[in-house]
Amino acid sequence: MKPIINVYGLTKDYGNNKGIFDLTFCVGEGEVFGYLGPNGAGKTTTIRHLMGFLTPDRGCSQILGMDTRTRSSEIMKQLGYLPGEIAFFDQMTGLEFLKFMGEMRGLVDTKFRDKLVDLFQLDTGGKIRKMSKGMKQKLGIICAFMHDPKVLILDEPTSGLDPLMQKVFTDLILEEKSRGKTILMSSHIFEEIERTCDRVGIIKNGRLVAIENMNDIKKKRRKTFDVTFENPLAAAEFVRSNDFDIMDVNENIVKLSIMGNVTEFIKALNYHTVLDLNIESSGLENIFMYYYGDTESEKSFEVMKGGH
Amino acid sequence: MCSKPLLKATIKQNIAVFILILAVLMVYLPIIIIMYEPETKDSLNDVLALLPQSLIAAMGLNNLGNTLTDFIGNYFYGFLILFLPMIYTITVCYRCIAAHVDKGSMAYLLSTPNKRTKIALTQALFIIISTTVMIAFITLAGIVISNIIFPGELDILAFLLLNLGTLLLYYAVTGIGFLSSCLFNDTKYPLITGAGLPVIFLVIQMISNLGEKVQFIKYFTLFSLFDPEKIINGGSFLPQLIALFIISAVMYGLGIYVFNKKDLPV
Repeated sequence: MKPIINVYGLTKDYGNNKGIFDLTFCVGEGEVFGYLGPNGAGKTTTIRHLMGFLTPDRGCSQILGMDTRTRSSEIMKQLGYLPGEIAFFDQMTGLEFLKFMGEMRGLVDTKFRDKLVDLFQLDTGGKIRKMSKGMKQKLGIICAFMHDPKVLILDEPTSGLDPLMQKVFTDLILEEKSRGKTILMSSHIFEEIERTCDRVGIIKNGRLVAIENMNDIKKKRRKTFDVTFENPLAAAEFVRSNDFDIMDVNENIVKLSIMGNVTEFIKALNYHTVLDLNIESSGLENIFMYYYGDTESEKSFEVMKGGH
Repeated sequence: MCSKPLLKATIKQNIAVFILILAVLMVYLPIIIIMYEPETKDSLNDVLALLPQSLIAAMGLNNLGNTLTDFIGNYFYGFLILFLPMIYTITVCYRCIAAHVDKGSMAYLLSTPNKRTKIALTQALFIIISTTVMIAFITLAGIVISNIIFPGELDILAFLLLNLGTLLLYYAVTGIGFLSSCLFNDTKYPLITGAGLPVIFLVIQMISNLGEKVQFIKYFTLFSLFDPEKIINGGSFLPQLIALFIISAVMYGLGIYVFNKKDLPV
């Protein structure tokens, strides 16, 4: 696979252990690369380097073989970017903004743009200042895709979108992927990464701690069950008489994890009254918890979960 | 070298404040010219006599002069012209670069195939052109109104030189604003330097008018390089104007250079 985005030993030290340190990875042609980490881990800092906004202390990054800092304006001809923070020209309407960005890019053909506006059902007639966060996010997505670029860099693309629009977005990513686009997207929504990405890079405190293949993760996938029994006694009885991987027992709620087949589990449950059964299923989440398992990071993880 | 769509968008963004300031100037200018009327001038002198001497001196109204050109030069170009368009230039300098960086909209501009230098140059060009247009309007209005009310009394060459001086002064002031807009990322600092320095210069200018004892501080203000009286009455003013031009060129050049090199938090 031809490498499209290359990052070699990229380092930007802001002091106090903030910044990014010695990042090395590459994204191949036609690949969707998920970039995962809690707030402040360095996702946006990495993306800002890829956009040529920052000069690295050490190392370098290239897109399509061009240095991202010195040749950014050439790279931008073939790149679509969605910033993490939405800020437009407030006094413009949605359509005025899209037209303006099209002119800045020298874009003539607006067919794809109009198709995207329809797809996301965005009313482009209103002033951007008065748009809701979700509408602004849609506008940003359309702006990133409308010139049909080869490479896409998307910083938390689905934040603010309702579930229906998240689905539309996921479908769009899959379609673009099938057309051979190279996509790097940061996210904290596990399902979205799981559905769209081929590989995922996990960043922690500015350092890349893992790059996992999505297929490997799916094979290793574990499911976590929360079973609520009638009373603590029944819960204890269930734990004692079965041989499951119990993670936690809290009064009458038992949390256990199972890899693969769940037949044995269902049979065992048959002997008890089950008040409630909750399934958490995300391979990525487990991988994530594995790398972020310490208490401090759990807190930021909770924040992230609450965030979407 | 210049991005047309961006220039268009920037014009649209700032046209309202441009018109507002120009309108205020256009109200003041005819009033001041009309006041040259001998009777009104006498009554103006009466009014001025009531005010504290130091206040009049600070406003640069010590000597209202004998000719219409002197009168306009002192009254309009001594203070009002230093103050009103500055409101416009401070606003525009901040909006052109720093506000885009601070809000994050710069990220969109730089995600298009335009070099940073091109973006900065376009914005600099807008500031320079719009300031020039503003001064040109005033020049034209001054000549037309003077010739309607007091035909033949205005020394047109001196008046044009006066406006050229004003324009160069504004290039330098906007140069400072543009450089600070390019230099700082935080909202505070571009406003503190871009607005603060010119205002401090203006205050120093006013204080230095007060008398011999404090006159030495005029060396601490850029505005000393623009002396209406000398321009009108044929004193030496050329070196000062050249200095203003050099300062402007350096400020704008440095601004574009800094903006091209720096880390952008967008």
